[in-house]
Amino acid sequence: MSLLEIRDLHISYPNPKGEFFAVDGVDLTIEKGEFVGLAGESGCGKTTLALSIPRLLPRGSHIGAGSIHFNGVDTTALSEEGMRALRWKEISVVFQGALNALNPVHTIGSQIAEPIRIHDESVSKKQAHDRTLELLEAVGIPARRFEDFPHQFSGGMRQRVMIAMALSCMPKLVIADEPITALDVMTQAQILDLLRSLCDRYSLSMLLISHDLSVLAQTCDRVAVMYAGKMAEQGPTSRVFGNHGAKHPYTQRLLSAYPNIKHERKFIDGIPGYPPDLSQEQVGCRFADRCDVALSRCATEVPELIDIGGGQSVACHLASDIRAGVQ
Amino acid sequence: MGKLWADRMGRWGLIALAITTFIAVICPIFFPFDPSKVGADAASILTGPSKTHLLGSDELGRDVLRQFFTGARISLFVGIMATVISTIVGSGLGIFAGYYMGRLDGILMRITDFFLVVPALPLMIALGAIFGQNITVIIMVIGFLSWPRTARIVRSQTLSLRQRQFVPRAKSLGSSNLRIIRTHIVPHVMPLIVANTILVVAGCILSEATLSFIGLGDPDRISWGTMLHFSFVSGAIGRGAWWYFLPPGFGILFIVLGFTLVGHSFEKITNPRLGGSE
Amino acid sequence: MPFLLRRFFTLLSSIFAIVTFNFFLFHIIPGDPIRLIARTQRLNAEAIAKMRASFGLDGSILSQYFRYLSKLVHGDLGYSFSFKENVSGLVGRALGNTLLLLTASTLIVVILGIAIGVFAGSRQGKKSDTATVISSLILWSMPTFWVGMLLVFTFGVWVGGLPISGISTANAVYSNGFEYFMDISRHLILPTVTLAIVDIAFFIIITRTALIDVMTEDYMLTARGKGLGRRAIVWRHGFRNAMLPVLTASALYISALVGGAIQVEVVFSWPGMGLLMYNSVLARDYPVLEASFLLTTVAVLVANFAADLLYRVLDPRVAVSK
Repeated sequence: MSLLEIRDLHISYPNPKGEFFAVDGVDLTIEKGEFVGLAGESGCGKTTLALSIPRLLPRGSHIGAGSIHFNGVDTTALSEEGMRALRWKEISVVFQGALNALNPVHTIGSQIAEPIRIHDESVSKKQAHDRTLELLEAVGIPARRFEDFPHQFSGGMRQRVMIAMALSCMPKLVIADEPITALDVMTQAQILDLLRSLCDRYSLSMLLISHDLSVLAQTCDRVAVMYAGKMAEQGPTSRVFGNHGAKHPYTQRLLSAYPNIKHERKFIDGIPGYPPDLSQEQVGCRFADRCDVALSRCATEVPELIDIGGGQSVACHLASDIRAGVQ
Repeated sequence: MGKLWADRMGRWGLIALAITTFIAVICPIFFPFDPSKVGADAASILTGPSKTHLLGSDELGRDVLRQFFTGARISLFVGIMATVISTIVGSGLGIFAGYYMGRLDGILMRITDFFLVVPALPLMIALGAIFGQNITVIIMVIGFLSWPRTARIVRSQTLSLRQRQFVPRAKSLGSSNLRIIRTHIVPHVMPLIVANTILVVAGCILSEATLSFIGLGDPDRISWGTMLHFSFVSGAIGRGAWWYFLPPGFGILFIVLGFTLVGHSFEKITNPRLGGSE
Repeated sequence: MPFLLRRFFTLLSSIFAIVTFNFFLFHIIPGDPIRLIARTQRLNAEAIAKMRASFGLDGSILSQYFRYLSKLVHGDLGYSFSFKENVSGLVGRALGNTLLLLTASTLIVVILGIAIGVFAGSRQGKKSDTATVISSLILWSMPTFWVGMLLVFTFGVWVGGLPISGISTANAVYSNGFEYFMDISRHLILPTVTLAIVDIAFFIIITRTALIDVMTEDYMLTARGKGLGRRAIVWRHGFRNAMLPVLTASALYISALVGGAIQVEVVFSWPGMGLLMYNSVLARDYPVLEASFLLTTVAVLVANFAADLLYRVLDPRVAVSK
């Protein structure tokens, strides 16, 4: 049994023009101890998808069709109280923008320790305190900084605090939403290494969200690429970023947007056009109007996510045609 | 204006304002109050509502309803005039302090802070006692004590506007400072000034009522506050003369509420960030 | 702690500025009080000069100023010709009574106001919230003295039951201290309630707005993500942060609080600073007016100072030292 199984999930927000589906029929699976990356441009629905797992979506959002099975339990059927028991204990989140995600008037130590005693009343204050010190050490923060406040840390250190906090109850799944976007490149590398090593050390599963594919390529076992509320491509990073290559035209364009410092100069091709307005009805493949290898049926038929071998699946007519040997 | 009506809060405020303005402006024309028309004998003082006196009579036997109408006019007049002074002085100082910054700003702000900290009513009482009890003095005193708040708010808005790009750009084009202020700063600060002004009127009306109640009002111009003062000192409360002290109080409540609702509604409309639900 | 010292020094210089302002304000009086007394008591020039000297009203303005300062330092606030006693004694007693009134009402206002404000803020948009906001706006628009008058009418004339004037029953004889305490308490009820009714509206609105602002902050989502229950989220995370802007706004409101107290004292004849000011205005007793104005303003300055310190203690982002 997989740790997390999302099947055909639909999440909508109310909109003056009607409902607007931020996530429109998405499948995602995460195994125990797996480090999965979730990529896509802003607005593609990746944060919505991720936050729906611990059900931390804003008021007004609605989980429609589809299911989320965590450890065998269908979380869409759970009450708020049931969800609360899962939060942090089983599923925790490292939020984007650590300065705002940490409470400015509490010490970082108390914020890390807080969820420990909430989810296990038998833990004493001293035990929680000791546990917090262990966590601080694990993320590379000196123990004496327990009594310090968030504003007294640098951006990178704050992110480490967020990570320590996310691990405090030893969850099974940690969701990291753009954890390094606001940091400088050197610190980014450090934090990524930290995430990866913690994931391995404590046998956690991690869902890392980023719009930066190079980040995912470094750390993740598998990667999933979303576009306009739908899953475009999924697969092991070794395949998608390796010689086999990405099969979805969108993923390919994303990859080519990153210059390789070793290769000769080349022009960076941005992708012309804009993502579709999801408040309008969508017909056919959503990437079709920006795709330069679109077929005629791309405009009218929605491509299904198809397994093309080696654990890789793509939602693209061209790719499935090639696979089927038609092209 | 249309948007004010659309907002529930604004709508009720506008209605309240319309009614009170009508009372203040129109009614005294048809029902003027003559302070010398005192009651004929002892039996005619502090009488309840009757056919001749719809709101009864005061401690001198005079008609309360007519006083009420005239009182509306005076209360509104003082409130608005004081606000005019306060807004012009406060906004002017605020814009100059925020635009020129530096030493001028420092000095102006020290003065402003000084007056912000000094408690308003004691200072008004002191000033009123020293400078006399005519309506001009009262207007000046109330206006004088309201400008610091306006100045502060306008200054911080001006400061943030000044940092924006169009100021150095305009300067490099050779625009004079005054011109920049007029064409760039003022239009952007206006919504804030208007919203603030409306709320200041509410405050000034309350201040006038309080000052008059304390006994520092202009004895020749009966405002609602003055009516309440006389009802208090003449023992109308003890005599149960509710027609004397209830209407002016409700009048003040009504008009202040009107301005407050409109002011908050205006603020909400011009600054969407502040708007919650409803 | 150099910061604390600096802030204290600012307080002292503000007090000094107020003293100077106070002096010059009351010495450009158009009506010369000595002349007033001289007229009513028919004194000759020599007697007038002597009186002037005893009141320190002779000599140049500057010399008067320095004499005034030295008298202040010695605690001499002058002599009141309407009350026939030293102003310092008058003012000292009055200050105590006003503080009693303010403390009682502030306790109610802060505790109830904040509680209701949090209640309304956490239920933003719902009926209970809207009702709270509307009632608060209405209460805020009422003149404090008028509310007092209404209460005097209701409890003094109409329904009766509570004392409506003074701090204790006139000519009462008490068999023990407890009875005295109870008598004062009964007299304290209506004035306190009057003050509280109007001031609470401010607190409710301020707290509500602050809480609503805070609810939109990211760390509130983190709190929710940790699996905290609603109460813990609102109070441990929301309230604790919302208190900061509330404290700041309260400091600015102290001035209005004092204004309200003055009105209440006049309506209920509560023998505090407000009533003293009122009576001194009626009698044109300038020494008393001057001293009560000075003391009230200094008290407000000190209160602001205390509030500033409190804020720095509560907000870790603002250092107390350095």
